[in-house]
Amino acid sequence: MLLHLLNRAPSSSSVHQDVLRAMGEEDGLMLIEDGVFGAVSAQVQHFPGLEGRLFALREDLESRGLAGRCDASVTIVDMDGFVALTEEAQRTVSWF
Amino acid sequence: MRYALLVLGGPYSHQAAHSALRFAHAAIARGHRVDTVFFYHDGVHNAAHFAAPPQDEPHLVDAWCDLQRTHGTALQVCVAAALRRGLLDAREAERHGKSGASLEPSFELTGLGQLLDIGQTHERLITFAP
Repeated sequence: MLLHLLNRAPSSSSVHQDVLRAMGEEDGLMLIEDGVFGAVSAQVQHFPGLEGRLFALREDLESRGLAGRCDASVTIVDMDGFVALTEEAQRTVSWF
Repeated sequence: MRYALLVLGGPYSHQAAHSALRFAHAAIARGHRVDTVFFYHDGVHNAAHFAAPPQDEPHLVDAWCDLQRTHGTALQVCVAAALRRGLLDAREAERHGKSGASLEPSFELTGLGQLLDIGQTHERLITFAP
């Protein structure tokens, strides 16, 4: 199982499409930095079929004023939870 | 676990360095070792000895040095990327006929091959990009 890291908003980059094409069935996707814009309800449709495998970094949501707008289908994790996800994954792949 | 971080983003222009630093401290707090941080591309600017940000802003270069001092994290900088961007230690400065060293002494210039070595010797390698 791989953990993919994405730091681009779906509205400013199409790299999320490459991520989705590359992801395996068990892989997780962690949204960090501007990637967390993809976690809000109006944007999360860009990540179909990732229920339970889509994560967003709490600190980056909060610093962008988006903490209350994160879609319920996205699991919010803090930096400690981010590290825990990298423990579980065999390796991480960063997309930017 | 034994972690390494790869930083590709320059300080104060992208979030990469901030994210990497926060990740390093969170990993250490969970009982891991962050043995190496490798700086490549514009990430080498994190090693700028003469960085002097306003006192009420985070000092990223000092923060990396603190990590090295407190936790023994090796701060490795790709020599080719650094020399292109004017980051030279005393030895390289002399070799290129320049005075003064612009590389913070807590960082070490090393070859890109070291990054391949890191990938094999550390259990996790996390990339923070611009």
